[in-house]
Amino acid sequence: MRVDFNNIMSAKGILLIPAMLVLAACTAGNGEGLDQNGQPIPIVPPVQSDFQEIQDTVFTPICTQCHIGANAPQGLRLDAANSYALLVNVASNEVPALLRVNPGNPDQSYIVQKISGTAAVGGRMPLGQAALPQDRIDLIRQWIAAGAPPASVAPDNLVVTSSIPASGEVASAGLDKLTVIFAGDVDATLAASGTFELRDGFDQPVTVAQARVPAGRPNVVELKLAHALGAGSYQLAVRGQGPVALADTAGHVLDGDADGSAGGDFLMSFDVSAGAQR
Amino acid sequence: MSRTQKQFRTMVVRWLGIAVLIAAGAQVNAEPYLAAQMGLKCVQCHVNPTGGGMRSVFGNTFAQTQLAAKRIGAEEDLWTGQVMKFLSVGGNARANYSWEDVPNQAGTNEFDVEEARAYLDFGVIPNRLSVYIDQRFAPGDSTNLEANVRYWFKENAFYVKAGRMYLPFGYRFEDDNAFVRQLSGINMQAPDEGVEFGLESGSWSAQIALSNGAGGGPENDPGKQVVTRAEFVQSRWRAGVSLAYNDTDLGERTGAGAFAAFNLGPVTLLGEVDYFDDDSIGPDGTKLMATLAEADWKVAQGHNVKLTYEWLEPNDDIDEDEQTRTSVLYEWSPIQFVQVRAGVRVYDGIPQNDNQNRKQAFLQLHGFF
Repeated sequence: MRVDFNNIMSAKGILLIPAMLVLAACTAGNGEGLDQNGQPIPIVPPVQSDFQEIQDTVFTPICTQCHIGANAPQGLRLDAANSYALLVNVASNEVPALLRVNPGNPDQSYIVQKISGTAAVGGRMPLGQAALPQDRIDLIRQWIAAGAPPASVAPDNLVVTSSIPASGEVASAGLDKLTVIFAGDVDATLAASGTFELRDGFDQPVTVAQARVPAGRPNVVELKLAHALGAGSYQLAVRGQGPVALADTAGHVLDGDADGSAGGDFLMSFDVSAGAQR
Repeated sequence: MSRTQKQFRTMVVRWLGIAVLIAAGAQVNAEPYLAAQMGLKCVQCHVNPTGGGMRSVFGNTFAQTQLAAKRIGAEEDLWTGQVMKFLSVGGNARANYSWEDVPNQAGTNEFDVEEARAYLDFGVIPNRLSVYIDQRFAPGDSTNLEANVRYWFKENAFYVKAGRMYLPFGYRFEDDNAFVRQLSGINMQAPDEGVEFGLESGSWSAQIALSNGAGGGPENDPGKQVVTRAEFVQSRWRAGVSLAYNDTDLGERTGAGAFAAFNLGPVTLLGEVDYFDDDSIGPDGTKLMATLAEADWKVAQGHNVKLTYEWLEPNDDIDEDEQTRTSVLYEWSPIQFVQVRAGVRVYDGIPQNDNQNRKQAFLQLHGFF
């Protein structure tokens, strides 16, 4: 068989080929300025709790590919604004005898059956993808076993909620910027390079050329490094004690060790790979 | 049976197959690329005028005489789906071996049954009134996907359908995880209850459906969803548009799409672009867009290579959050009603999200009738 080039060169073909090229020319985003869920790094991010972690690592990045908006399958919307209200103590549409989340009873919660592949109706979620990692399934079970509490409220003290790269992450080679995200507005006058100390795997300091609070994102500190990081292990410290302790705009000193009271350094380790990694 | 009788039956079956294909005006379907390849409408191969589900007599004949690399068995044993005068049956089963690699997670692989479905069509008034059921038996317990009554008006140019059904919007791809099908929320995982009116006249195929618009869940507001689709079909090319409007208590959801296909002989090109303005997502609403470009190369009868490139803009107000999905599939139909599919899909998204950068591979045995 041969491709019909006469047809390709017809007026319709000439119109169609650039159209197909346009469709094929769009590329993926580079994620600049976004969190792991593709949203701008929030001004005041929620404090981590079991439910918040489930939302941030399961519902938002995976489930909301389909379960969002008015046309969400089975009317189940799993975006942050709706997930809790539509899950906890709400009867399943597919098996009405079961609650989607039955507080205290993970085995009698339909969501656990759906993500475990044991539900009476339909395929395992997420549909068309591999099963959730076991630690995510365990986290959901633990949250339900603990009574399925909602996300907790923000504390009085300044705390770190996340970072880019995240703790334990293997970042791509060439990393020359770190981002630390707080649950509160950082006092920009205290965001100096001395407050943020980066050391390599040999405990040698790595120069932080600049620490700044970017415009419009008062809960974020961006660290510009003097040089791109080579492969290896690194540890970032954010000072919550001493003369260079970080504080928020209300004067609350960083609770770096997350013990519920002001003070203590925040420590976070990550690795940089030898090659590009996605 | 005498040799003369056998020869006669064989000849009848052979001519029946040819007659069915010629009667269709050299057109077909099963997947959109097949329809485009043959210059056919969806209704040609499926009892459902918008495609998907049970195959018609023509669709079954096509599967045995045109789609497969070769046909085995006695020539007179041509399966049409009609098991008795007023009843037709059909089915689909897909068994997968799949592998997935998500960055920073251990790779997984598994065997699974993607679906096992059976179709029943009671043609209580032949060519006029049908009661149609599409039931899924696996995975999980039995679940109804479609249950509707369909009535064709005189000359089969118009129909009305009421009950539970797949809604008409864009191309009805087998792959419900295609970005364009996820974005619209209109796919074979989310049938809805409502009523549909259709036109199948000349080169035109058009539908308009009014439904609950609750994604198959319980209706809990007075607003309804209107979805419409119109396609102009020629032997070498086709083009169409889709519109959707869903009025819900969560907000209005408005969408538009355009799709087209072009037959270059052994290569068939398809494209679709969808755009939605969804006030039901987020405090200020969200604008989303997805595209799909597909090329199918019929290497030989029974052998197809499929390339797809998809792009998703999940929120038009946010920069650098786009995702892509690239797939390469090989589809082999060695004999009638059997298809072996092997494919690789590569997702590319923001580096912070491991799930948006996963890779998948699968091997699928697909049986249908």
